[in-house]
Amino acid sequence: MPESFEETITLAGDLHARPAGALSVAAAQFSSAVQLAVAGRADGGTAGVTGPQADAKSVLAVMQLGASSGQQVTVRAVGPDAEKAVETLIGILAAVSKAGD
Amino acid sequence: MAARVGIVLVSHSASLAEGTAELAGQVGGGAVTITTAGGTDDGRLGTSIDKVADAIRRADAGAGVLILPDLGSSVLTVRTLLADDADDLPGPLEVADAPFVEGAVAAAVTAAAGGSLKAVLDAAQEARHARKL
Repeated sequence: MPESFEETITLAGDLHARPAGALSVAAAQFSSAVQLAVAGRADGGTAGVTGPQADAKSVLAVMQLGASSGQQVTVRAVGPDAEKAVETLIGILAAVSKAGD
Repeated sequence: MAARVGIVLVSHSASLAEGTAELAGQVGGGAVTITTAGGTDDGRLGTSIDKVADAIRRADAGAGVLILPDLGSSVLTVRTLLADDADDLPGPLEVADAPFVEGAVAAAVTAAAGGSLKAVLDAAQEARHARKL
């Protein structure tokens, strides 16, 4: 039975190309399937509504999410190293700051 | 750490190749070797077989090299080189049929993550289907 974990974080800055690359490089180190899901606009208007999702291992898909400051990003992983994968990617998302690019 | 796949960007324009290499290298976290073959030997727009061969040798770290041409005669130049001089080049080599910027970024991330030459080729070629809006 594969393990499944998820955790949600609110972005402090926009998810630009470089952190998107860092996410995908990190996600590729895990055998678990890892998905990112975005919900909640910066204005709070659609919080809780299911938004776009992306395979975290595909940098172009992650960039296409266009996740921005104030949005909630959920990391979901399924597989033998799911917990570590979620912890690692949440760590990278937590480091995304307003000044980041 | 095992050797990573190297990436060669072949463009008619030296500045296009170098700018794309800079962007892809940064998105990949600086962990992958990306070399460029842009412009002719005398600095005009065009492609150079000698520049491509040199870029392949500089990109090789023992895990194979992915070559990404931009347009038209870049592809012909790469094909001519591989047909005539493959024995004098490090290998294995693959040529990606992919959009230049998206393909370079996707390939750089997969190479930085330690992906095989096949995985890096697939990542570049899947970029054809990536939407940007």
